[in-house]
Amino acid sequence: MPTDNTPGLLTRLAGPFREFGWAAGLAYFIHRVLRKLSPNLGLYVYEFMVQPIGGKPLLPPNLSRNLSFQEILKGDPAIADMPAREDIKARRFEQGARCLGAYRKGQLIGYLWYATGRYEEDEVRCDYVLVDNAASIFDFDLYVLPQYRLGVGFLGVWHGANELLAPQGVRYTFSRLTRFNVASRRAHAHLGWKRVGVGLFLQLWGAEFMASTVAPYLGATFGEHQRITLRLHPDVLMSA
Amino acid sequence: MSDTTDTIDILIEYIRKETGFEGPLAADDDLLTAGVLDSFNIVSLALFAQERFEVDLDGDDLVRDNLAKLSSLAALIERRRAEQA
Repeated sequence: MPTDNTPGLLTRLAGPFREFGWAAGLAYFIHRVLRKLSPNLGLYVYEFMVQPIGGKPLLPPNLSRNLSFQEILKGDPAIADMPAREDIKARRFEQGARCLGAYRKGQLIGYLWYATGRYEEDEVRCDYVLVDNAASIFDFDLYVLPQYRLGVGFLGVWHGANELLAPQGVRYTFSRLTRFNVASRRAHAHLGWKRVGVGLFLQLWGAEFMASTVAPYLGATFGEHQRITLRLHPDVLMSA
Repeated sequence: MSDTTDTIDILIEYIRKETGFEGPLAADDDLLTAGVLDSFNIVSLALFAQERFEVDLDGDDLVRDNLAKLSSLAALIERRRAEQA
């Protein structure tokens, strides 16, 4: 009966507002409605974050002693096991992205993809350009195998990224986070990240409209060949 | 108070300080299921325990069975203390 369902429905409707706040909750609600109407419609809310690389090791020696880190190259069987679609993984290598693997006692526990210079967003038509190119990377798709998520997995991957990238002169890593991924926001908050800006992308079939706190602030694209460019600078981290 | 009770009290104090959680915390509560801790700060709790109680934990120790309940973590600390004494 409708009256029996009302409390459950209200709870479900209120859930995103409670979890994300009213503004992001409303955006999430709109996004869900748009996606129900068509896979070519959507409203994406991104936060652009920057996080320091280097400094103090994230894990003490006794917890990192069985960990090793190395680049996972194209063709490595580990690539085929990664959950992303094959065409997306192939596109990552085409745009020069690299993948760092963290291993414990020889077993892969997690990995992190990163790009240098610029990163081509794969959800919306936007490229992120790293202004401090020599000292910056853009990380994406950090994945920890389920059996290691409670242990050293997440920290282990970042420990390895620091260990491998800091000697190469990398000091900042940028990332794009969907505003609705609360778990990832919480986890990264422990790593000293700061918000560079926010972007709102509205997908309406072939058209995409953007509003962002990062220049050029407003943008629109009308077709696959058009992309917006956002330039990301680590200022916020340097002034923190 | 027993050593274990002292240990649990110290762990509770750390959790409250780190997470701001003000609700009741009991030794046998599952802190992950209850949402008090997430997968990151449960490892932070283990790192704190290692430093505060001067015990060496291993990567193999950082599993749900040892970390989800304060009583389990306190028991692990006591075991490591005994082994390292």
